[in-house]
Amino acid sequence: MIDIASIIKEIDKLKPIPQVTQKVMAVANDAKSSAADLADIIQYDPALTANILKVCNSAFFGLAQRIDSIHQAVAYLGMDQVVGMAMLNLGSETLKQAQKGYDLREGELWKYSVLSAFMAREIASNKNQKDKHLIFTAALLKDIGKAVLSEYVGNYFDDIEKAIADRDITFRDAEKLIIGIDHAAVGAMVAEKWNFSGRMVDIIRNHHLGAGWPEDDIELATVYVADTLCMIMGIGVGSDGLAYRFHPRVVQKLHLNDTDLQMLMASFGEKLHELDDLLTRV
Amino acid sequence: MNIIVGVSDMRVSNDPDSVLITYSLGSCIGISIYDPVVKVGGLLHFMLPDSRLDEGKARKNPLMFADTGVPALFRSAYELGAAKQRMRVIVVGGAQILDQKGFFNIGKRNNMAVRKLFWKNKVMIDYEAVGGNVNRTIKLQISNGEAWLKTSGQQFEKI
Repeated sequence: MIDIASIIKEIDKLKPIPQVTQKVMAVANDAKSSAADLADIIQYDPALTANILKVCNSAFFGLAQRIDSIHQAVAYLGMDQVVGMAMLNLGSETLKQAQKGYDLREGELWKYSVLSAFMAREIASNKNQKDKHLIFTAALLKDIGKAVLSEYVGNYFDDIEKAIADRDITFRDAEKLIIGIDHAAVGAMVAEKWNFSGRMVDIIRNHHLGAGWPEDDIELATVYVADTLCMIMGIGVGSDGLAYRFHPRVVQKLHLNDTDLQMLMASFGEKLHELDDLLTRV
Repeated sequence: MNIIVGVSDMRVSNDPDSVLITYSLGSCIGISIYDPVVKVGGLLHFMLPDSRLDEGKARKNPLMFADTGVPALFRSAYELGAAKQRMRVIVVGGAQILDQKGFFNIGKRNNMAVRKLFWKNKVMIDYEAVGGNVNRTIKLQISNGEAWLKTSGQQFEKI
């Protein structure tokens, strides 16, 4: 067990959320705001604007026309996608690094985070869910706790592995047992520090669906399913392997069948090269 | 030189300087083949068991599926002079999430698909490390056919 104060100190080392990102979030959460409001905020931040335009023009989106302005980006890709791109910018610095404690090479956690965000968004979109930007951002940032906890997991890896084998528990439960806190809880603390909504904090905290998870939370279920599919595909899987629980009920709640899940894997599996292209732009 | 084999991809080589490597298999399966006489080796990383899921996708990317990917791997090795009866065949991956017993057990189905294909085509497996809930990475050295396996959080071990 370690002192939780040292984890809090690590979280405090993360850069605060930029003001422009906070404004983007506020617009995204405000039902009355328009696409033009969003574009107005972003276009006064040249660095963010340049990054978003680079991402829009990546092969991943396969747009026929080149996008040269934020207003155009919002018109072509929609408000949700542009909010998502601003969030990519937020997570990239921390998530891109190697997480040695989790045996993840540089870029692996990042690739996984972005893939699961787009996958969660796709599920939300297919099922006509309203809160696509909440789902995208939660899926993107849900494992940011790993960046904070990596060193501790590395130091205690043998004990964690033994706990999983001896007690038939998940990697996350073993983190909690051995270190005193798990990566989902740490991720929720980061989200709180960044002033994300209570919903966002809850989804990040519960994304592995531990004991007593709220079964009717459709957004949480969507983030969970995208995470599970990435794990099955082996994207972003490190020393924790696939040592998490599968909850078929969640999948059924979203009315997804076996073919739907395989098709999601196949569609995104096909786009991994384009995703690599997108990742070089953020 | 390390040549990385991505998801739904394969590489076949007779270049003695090459090392074929595929990372992080999850429920996907990696198949390594090597003919020690002609020193030809290949590595496939497929994702799903059955191409009937979507014929269009299978045509575009046959290496995504077991039933189209595995024959493509063997054919490419034959083109470089390899022979089936001399090949050392390794199968790794096909892991599953905890409690994934019945519904959507892609790891297990991937493994069944490989077994069915190999049984039909009289291919013997020389080494396998499949199932469990671990993540696996495999590399194959073309100069001598040595293969190395890395399991979640561990170091590479020669197999």
